Amino acid sequence: MNTASKIVGAARNLLAAAALLLALGGSALAADKVPAVGTPQTKEMSLVLLAYGDEDIWDENGQFIKKGSGPAKTSVADAAAETPDPLEGWNRAMFTFNDKLYFWALKPAAEGYSFVIPERPRLWVHNFFHNLLFPVRFTSLMLQAKFDAAAVETSRFIGNTAFGLGGLADVTGDSKPYKPIPSTEQDLGLTLGYWGMGNGFYLVWPFIGPSTGRDTLGYAGDYFLTPTSYLHPWYWSIGTKTYDKVNEVSIRIGEYEALKEASVDPYVALRDAYLRVRFKRMND
Amino acid sequence: MKRIASLLALLMLFVFASTALAGEPQDRLKAGIDKVIAILSDPALKAPAKRVERQNKLRTVADSFFDWRELSRRALAEHWNKYTPKQQDDFVASFSELLQKTYIRKIEKYNNEKVTYQKEQIEGNQAFINTQVVMKDKNIPINYIMIKRDHWMVYDVVVEGVSLVKNYRSQFSKVLSKESPDDLLNRIKDKTKALDEGKNVDDVVGK
Repeated sequence: MNTASKIVGAARNLLAAAALLLALGGSALAADKVPAVGTPQTKEMSLVLLAYGDEDIWDENGQFIKKGSGPAKTSVADAAAETPDPLEGWNRAMFTFNDKLYFWALKPAAEGYSFVIPERPRLWVHNFFHNLLFPVRFTSLMLQAKFDAAAVETSRFIGNTAFGLGGLADVTGDSKPYKPIPSTEQDLGLTLGYWGMGNGFYLVWPFIGPSTGRDTLGYAGDYFLTPTSYLHPWYWSIGTKTYDKVNEVSIRIGEYEALKEASVDPYVALRDAYLRVRFKRMND
Repeated sequence: MKRIASLLALLMLFVFASTALAGEPQDRLKAGIDKVIAILSDPALKAPAKRVERQNKLRTVADSFFDWRELSRRALAEHWNKYTPKQQDDFVASFSELLQKTYIRKIEKYNNEKVTYQKEQIEGNQAFINTQVVMKDKNIPINYIMIKRDHWMVYDVVVEGVSLVKNYRSQFSKVLSKESPDDLLNRIKDKTKALDEGKNVDDVVGK
């Protein structure tokens, strides 16, 4: 047994322990706290909204916000969007780094790549990598006790892998489950949030992008559930992940530019968007 | 045979019931969006030479169902009153200009995506409408919040849980915590100018 496989073995053990811990912690949390998922809660808001006369009638998804006491009522999504940002100096520096990385490296690479490869094969590659991330989604759904969604996700994985040329084609994409299921696009960061863990603080990582204290913890767990992390030697792993990233960017060229063009403070615009999108995914 | 007929009748009932349920705000919204789609898919306007004409048409349609004043006021929240009435008019004009410029660029890539109307809620003089845009690899939920003036007008758009008004509210309050109301107004105007001059977004760093 060489060292690399030993490390992999150790990592698997660590992961199993972490998963167990998560499950235990989750059930303990669930016992004393009913997770407020999907139900809009009213929450006292400070800062910006207090001095502001208009009350919102609905939250972002159109859920009716119940009237309560207090001058301004708003959705829990607003609370998530007000996650503290104590490391703003570091975060802004990393935002600039990622911005340059995008415009100087990622985007030119993605543009060259999409010039050579038509869109359809690029969508196949997208499907392949999405299918490959099945362990992340399955584990998260199981830990969130969404067994029906986990079952659907499993059958999609089997279907796409067996009949979709190893996941290149999303053959199960059009078939809907008998009854509606929660969104299967889950990861460990969202799982921690689902069981009531707060964002902690906003954090921007170089290369990875926007994150929070909680999502960083989840990301570390996701790393061990991502098959491409186990490619040997290490530079194959990095190379594959970079290719996945370039392929993703090639499908979504223009989205980041649009956000940046339209905003007066792109850093704040991206922070707000990230926190709100994550909050929505958590409750979907 | 009889069962099929009664089933069909029942089905028809549902179909008509659901169309009849769409209220005034949703009809207004749908009319506006349909007009936008008609302009975007008009082959006569697709030529690069017609770009300005097309943009002007889109802007006229957008002005007819977007309440820019309400949108700006809510985005500025308590800072709205820091502007004089004249500055407020200037702010509404500049901010809507920036929004239209950037959003027209975004929707110019329109490729026959379908818009489906999911749900409509009316509460007093406000309405919330859930729609979905069907894209090639996923569906994007887009919600519109409307307010009744002379007509129903849109004042906020929520894309995948991100509210336009609230996203700008956080930006504005951040900028205004360090700079004066005039500085913010100038920032918005500079942004629009940079877009007009066709500068790369790469160079246009907000900070």
